[in-house]
Amino acid sequence: MSEELYKEMAQSIIDGDSDISTELAKKSIELNMHPLDSITKGFVIGVNYIGDQFGKGEAFLPELVMAGEAMKAAVAVLEPELIKLGGAREMMGRVVLATVEGDIHEIGKTLVGTMLSASGFEVVDLGVDQPADKIIGKALEINADLIGMSALLTTTMVRQREVIEELDKEGLRPRIKVMVGGAPITRDWVTKIKADGYSEDAIGAVKIAKELVGKADQ
Amino acid sequence: MEKLKFLSDDDVKRIHNATLRILNEVGYVWTHKQSLEILTGAGCKVKGNRVYFPPELVEDSIQKAGKRTAIRGRGGVTKTLGDGNLYFHNLGGARDIYDAKTGGHRIAELQDVRDSTRLLDALENCNTITPFFTPQDVPGELMSLAMYRHALPFTTKPLQGPGVQYGPETKFAVQMAEVIGNPKEVLTLALSPVSPLTIPDHEAEAVIEIARAGVAFGALPCPTAGATGPMTISGSIAQQNAETLAVVILAQLVNPGLPIIYCGRLAMMEPRLGSSVWGGVELALASAGTIQIGHHYGFPVNVYGFSTNAHVLDAQDGFERGLNAAIPALAGADELSGIGEMEAGVMGSYAQMVLDNELADSIQRLRRGFSADEDALGVDVIAAIMDGSRNFLGQKHTMKYLKAGEVQLTKLAERNSWETWERKGKQGMVERAVDEAERILREHQVEPLEPQQEKELDTIMAAAEKELVKKR
Repeated sequence: MSEELYKEMAQSIIDGDSDISTELAKKSIELNMHPLDSITKGFVIGVNYIGDQFGKGEAFLPELVMAGEAMKAAVAVLEPELIKLGGAREMMGRVVLATVEGDIHEIGKTLVGTMLSASGFEVVDLGVDQPADKIIGKALEINADLIGMSALLTTTMVRQREVIEELDKEGLRPRIKVMVGGAPITRDWVTKIKADGYSEDAIGAVKIAKELVGKADQ
Repeated sequence: MEKLKFLSDDDVKRIHNATLRILNEVGYVWTHKQSLEILTGAGCKVKGNRVYFPPELVEDSIQKAGKRTAIRGRGGVTKTLGDGNLYFHNLGGARDIYDAKTGGHRIAELQDVRDSTRLLDALENCNTITPFFTPQDVPGELMSLAMYRHALPFTTKPLQGPGVQYGPETKFAVQMAEVIGNPKEVLTLALSPVSPLTIPDHEAEAVIEIARAGVAFGALPCPTAGATGPMTISGSIAQQNAETLAVVILAQLVNPGLPIIYCGRLAMMEPRLGSSVWGGVELALASAGTIQIGHHYGFPVNVYGFSTNAHVLDAQDGFERGLNAAIPALAGADELSGIGEMEAGVMGSYAQMVLDNELADSIQRLRRGFSADEDALGVDVIAAIMDGSRNFLGQKHTMKYLKAGEVQLTKLAERNSWETWERKGKQGMVERAVDEAERILREHQVEPLEPQQEKELDTIMAAAEKELVKKR
């Protein structure tokens, strides 16, 4: 019975259907299934599948976004139950995300946030146009493991370096790891500014984030 | 020649009406106080962080706007967008440079801004020049200004300003233009509002600054259909139109009659990657649609023409930019952008510039079409040769039309036999383009600025650095 339901849960994510994923999450609670099982044996399987498909060039980006949204909807139903049971979903790590100062492009960054959440990270997304001190301040406040920064413009990507320099000056690395992204970002740039990781897309970002928090195998 | 049309008159009206609805009912994210005061003073409503534009104001601003844009180079040549001709200019803002000789690429620096400008100065089909590369050896705050400053000495052609984002940037760009002439005559500036339907405060400030300076203005929204615009070409054209008109309205309220260049940069999202497709033929369709809308209002229109996603000068590069240049040209574009572009605007190359210069010849030839009048039909000539030589080689009619350009001659494209081609060294078109770019860069000299002008530009850059570069 629950096996069947797990499959439906995964499918609802693959279909990107938030209504059905919400409904299945509610149903699992009525059936007294453990919320953690619903997440890890059901919904996450769907996220992983669509992520793999995207990585192979066989799924579209909008499918990935819709899968992320469907995952969020299911987790929103299950999380309160999990807390009631005295448990919590084991977090992969805490991440502060932001688009750097002077730049207000955030579609890619928001998608990274969605995929990180869907994969078990706790994400604080500061939004756009964020100066170094705000980003670092928030990272300290929530005791973040990771800072993720995006920039779309060649004129604003230089700000990523400022944040890293500031972190180094304060002696906050390697405690806080830094990953960067955005259209103009290249591996050369990442090496030059001494960031810890980068990815060209949201699925790769999840992989890098897991590596950076030492949980590459999960 | 009849213009190529993809939209019926009804379609154009529907897109216009959709635009009015977007501006009036959906609104535009706009928080810059000073410009909001100007807009509300003209009848716009503000609710939350959005501004709503009444249709009458939209129509009125379109009507008021200047429909011809002239820009003069320091060499004295003036180019007027909207005079019925098709002009070409280059891509602006590439990060990398592709080395066609080695097949490698690297980050562009200031010297590349200088060299690319000098090369484009020599290419006869590049009618105006935009500073090409974003030099990574300059602080971000000064990048746009440095591009303009270091392009100025290396061309006498009309030089468009760099893309600006900030009010102070605009101020310094205008000051630099003053060094070579009246900014109203020697400068144009462009600015990209953020899609969907958002203008950051500093950009609104820059629009006011541009309008006050009386500098011809191109709003350059860059929606990506499926990501920052609707998935449909028509829906994204309507959104792009709203994004353009909103800033045109502000510019016209600040300076009625300010000349406007209607620009389109609409591209599709590659759904498997999330990136922009500059090489697909949808770009040509979107550009052609954009031209119809801009022309409906009477604006001169600038769209992408030479564009590709390719990383090397290969078949993909050739067919993508060929199609993407031809379609908008036939749709009546006033200006095609993109000379030298590669990798969806991320990269540029000298060999590509030379290749595009040749492609531009073919595009102009396409636009010229062909005559079908009595003389061109040449029935008398046909009759004459049938009674004589039975071929047309010795006919005056033949030479007359050859001289008039009935056959476009090529410089780089190969038309010889295998044997001749082999004997001449078996070069491909790309290799010939590489050689030609090298030759031009070796030989082509541009009349320098006066020492006094150089000094003035340096002074302005120093002031800009003092005001704009953040203390680190």
